[in-house]
Amino acid sequence: MSTADRTIELAKGQHEGVPGRRFLDPRVLARIDDLELVARFVVEGFISGLHRSPHLGFSTDFAEHRQYMPGDDIRHMDWRLFARTDRFYLKEYEADTNANFIAILDVSKSMGYGTTGLTKLDYAKYLAACLAYFSHRQRDRVGFVSIDSDIVDFVPPSAKHLNQVLHGLDRAEARGRGSLAIPLLKVSESQHRRSILLILSDLYEPADKVRDAIGPLRDAGHDVVVMHLLDPTELDFPFEAAGTFEDLESGDKIPVVPGRLRQRYTQLIRDHVAAVEKLLGEGRVDYVMVDTSKPIDDVLFQYLLRRERLQTVR
Amino acid sequence: MSFLAPLFAVGLLALAVPILVHLVHKERKETTPFPSLMFLLRTPYQHSRRQRIRDWLLFLTRALVFLLLVAAFARPVLDRTPEAVATASGGGRELVVLLDRSFSMRIGDRWSRAQTAARQALDGLDAADRATVVLFDDQARAVGEAGSSRSVVRAAIDSARPGDASTRYAPAMMLARRVLAESRLPNREVVVISDFQRSGWDLTEEARLPGGTVVTPADVVAGEARDRAVRAVELRRAVEGGRERITVMARISNAGPAARGIDARLEVAGRVVATSRLDLGADAGGVVTFESLAVPETPQRAAIRIASDDVPEDDVLHFILERAPTIPVLVVESGTPGADRDVYLQRALEIGQRPAFDITVRRDNQLTAADFAGKRLVVMNDAPFPSGEAGRRLESFVRAGGGLIVAQGEATTGRSWPGRGNGLLPAPPSETRDRIGGQGAVLGSIDRSHPALALFGATGSGDLSAARFYRYRPIESDSGVIARLDDGSVALAEHRAGSGRTIVIGSAFDGIWNDLPRQLVFLPFVHQLAQYASGYRAGRNVHEVGDAVDLQLSATSDTSAGLQYVALAPSGSRLRIGGTLGEAALIPAEAGVYEVRRAGAPGERPRLVAVNVPGRELELARFDPSRLTNATVGSEATGMAAGAAPEPDRAAREREQSVWWYLLLVAATLLVAESVLAHRLTRGRVTVGHGG
Repeated sequence: MSTADRTIELAKGQHEGVPGRRFLDPRVLARIDDLELVARFVVEGFISGLHRSPHLGFSTDFAEHRQYMPGDDIRHMDWRLFARTDRFYLKEYEADTNANFIAILDVSKSMGYGTTGLTKLDYAKYLAACLAYFSHRQRDRVGFVSIDSDIVDFVPPSAKHLNQVLHGLDRAEARGRGSLAIPLLKVSESQHRRSILLILSDLYEPADKVRDAIGPLRDAGHDVVVMHLLDPTELDFPFEAAGTFEDLESGDKIPVVPGRLRQRYTQLIRDHVAAVEKLLGEGRVDYVMVDTSKPIDDVLFQYLLRRERLQTVR
Repeated sequence: MSFLAPLFAVGLLALAVPILVHLVHKERKETTPFPSLMFLLRTPYQHSRRQRIRDWLLFLTRALVFLLLVAAFARPVLDRTPEAVATASGGGRELVVLLDRSFSMRIGDRWSRAQTAARQALDGLDAADRATVVLFDDQARAVGEAGSSRSVVRAAIDSARPGDASTRYAPAMMLARRVLAESRLPNREVVVISDFQRSGWDLTEEARLPGGTVVTPADVVAGEARDRAVRAVELRRAVEGGRERITVMARISNAGPAARGIDARLEVAGRVVATSRLDLGADAGGVVTFESLAVPETPQRAAIRIASDDVPEDDVLHFILERAPTIPVLVVESGTPGADRDVYLQRALEIGQRPAFDITVRRDNQLTAADFAGKRLVVMNDAPFPSGEAGRRLESFVRAGGGLIVAQGEATTGRSWPGRGNGLLPAPPSETRDRIGGQGAVLGSIDRSHPALALFGATGSGDLSAARFYRYRPIESDSGVIARLDDGSVALAEHRAGSGRTIVIGSAFDGIWNDLPRQLVFLPFVHQLAQYASGYRAGRNVHEVGDAVDLQLSATSDTSAGLQYVALAPSGSRLRIGGTLGEAALIPAEAGVYEVRRAGAPGERPRLVAVNVPGRELELARFDPSRLTNATVGSEATGMAAGAAPEPDRAAREREQSVWWYLLLVAATLLVAESVLAHRLTRGRVTVGHGG
């Protein structure tokens, strides 16, 4: 099984039996109109299912001690203080409370595609909302950028901006043609503080262009996470009837007989996923392939598990 | 045969279209949207059946249509016969004389020198030549179209006089370009007779003359200009002893040597009411201040005058002396108000002079229909919709063009405003929403392009989002939204009812539901809303020649829309404006005071409009006339020999022949034939399929 196949199968949810998982059907979430409610519902429920609080962020400078609470990571326990006082205290770190988290949402027209009851854009909104809520919960500053071939909307990161971020997400609509290079360069130039940047896109660009577009962000010292959202029909191309296929962004149309090119198409998209994952991995950029038919907390779990592993390595 | 736009031959590539249509002929009509064809396009796909051209006749018809379209767009020109060429190359000159008649041409002997130069330009014409004279200031007008007799053109030059307008070169150059482009004569020349004021330079690429045109500037300025002028007036208002007083200040410029003891007089209604004296340095200016005077009850014509010099027309500046504009406002309060709840709005409206607000306050239970008389704005400050006759009067007031501001607080409920206040509100008042627990709601999305909030669009012009809303009634309407709170609910919206405007704010002005009244932006915010809702338009005491003066009373009132006006110009001529003749806007052409009345109302007190020579026309700095040649003649002109067949000649021939028109006609006919043919072939194929 190739790397791309593993990534895609991972995205399709073949990690049954992992503790702490609950399954929230995105179609059910789509019926809830309030984005904040969705985020709170998913994150709180998700965290309560884990045996300890997950952590998303940097840990660098010691700031203060805090009394131990059930669910805290015991690795941060100050054993020396315990020896002196017979009480459990945790070391807290400066960056725990003031890291920047910015969700960068691709709102190009191709993100408006979906066959699972909700579009890739809707799914990306839920993911961004959940992770923004999650970051806000651990007292990070949260921000939001929506992009197509340029910056569309921008909420600067702040500890008080969760509502604005959720409002911005709620307002985002699929529009225009997508291109990552220019908007990401602008983000890189505007954000001088080291941040966690979550890029949610369907990455319909050659892999080397994706790498070149994201490179400046990583070079600027940001911690970049790329979530590659694809609808199941984009992965498997299950169409049967011959017909005209129209590109949502350019409006170009071509006649297609799906049965004849399904094999070649699925190979190409797997090659693309593999190439993107390889190039981004070389640039130390986190890459998560997301199948939008899968539960959101499933993706969150995979993602947080992976980041935790990476953090222990870094 | 040759082509005027051979680049359109690239369109022959479009021939590939019918080929592709025939090769990749689609069986299905509907399309499947897909995020990206990026990978599908990389997939080699071939279909043996679709690579054959099946209907050769149809294919040839379509290809021919494209061929004809491309040929038509390439604008074919049939070559001329040798005889025609010989006739055309016999010489002849198209001369356009641009004669500047702006205000600055009145200085010294500039105008007489300009007339002499124009006559000399005409003297050099042969029998085969043609001439057009264009008089221009800020507009251009051809007084002798090409082909007119010489005597007519000369008479036009003799009778022309400089006016009061400013100089602009672009309209004149564009008119000259039109005349030259239509000419078939091989030689083209433009003579520009002007004082070449730098302030009139507005030439762009659009003012370029056809290639081969010779531009000859004729400068009529001799020696240094000497001119003193009253350039601007400033009125400072103050209230002393309950009466409004005005201090008049004027700026006077001096082009020439220093002058001492210049007398300046302030005249009101033709009488000198104050004098002052000042000294002016060489090529400098000064400010003269007159003693303050009481403002007359009715608008009066006023002027500042200095001793006449060579150009007496700019030694006087006209303006209108009148009281500060006032907006009559009726503020309706709830019958059971809390302490100090009404104070913020009233205090905010009491401050301000341009315009001032004349406030009348009524409790809703004391409101009568007579209270609306003469008002331009009603503010329902958390008051219920008036019952009975007062309610009907409020509705008719708004529908007839009046303004309404509704602040929705405790007393503004769906029950107290039945039927959306007879349609005056965009939506019924909703239930209250509390944000007391946190830090309150803030304005998250503000439409700063809206006229009511445009003042806050500039950087540092006030932060509306600083205000906290602890309790509000979301406006449940998606139309006319001006501002939203951070939870997305509408906080400020506009609604049109009849000719009037309603501005609804989903919270109260009481300082309790929100802290907006305690923010710095509250005063300008209330003033801007009130001015916008009442349709107030700031008038001006002084206008310039060429300005468009709106004669309608207000932005919303339809009582003044569609009216016709009669304007009496300073020279005594009458102008009819508005009604069926177009927009009710006076565009003055003379300096002085215009009197404007409604047509058919000769006894009505006239509206006075003071008009002066444009300030920029009094800037006498000049540019090098040779720049005109560089700016207006294209690079292709250089090196072009006179008499060589120029490009525009072919263009004229092409227009005359209009071969493209016939090509399009044939293409259209073929398209009809193609439709019939395609229909028959398709039907035949279906029939065969069923039969088989």
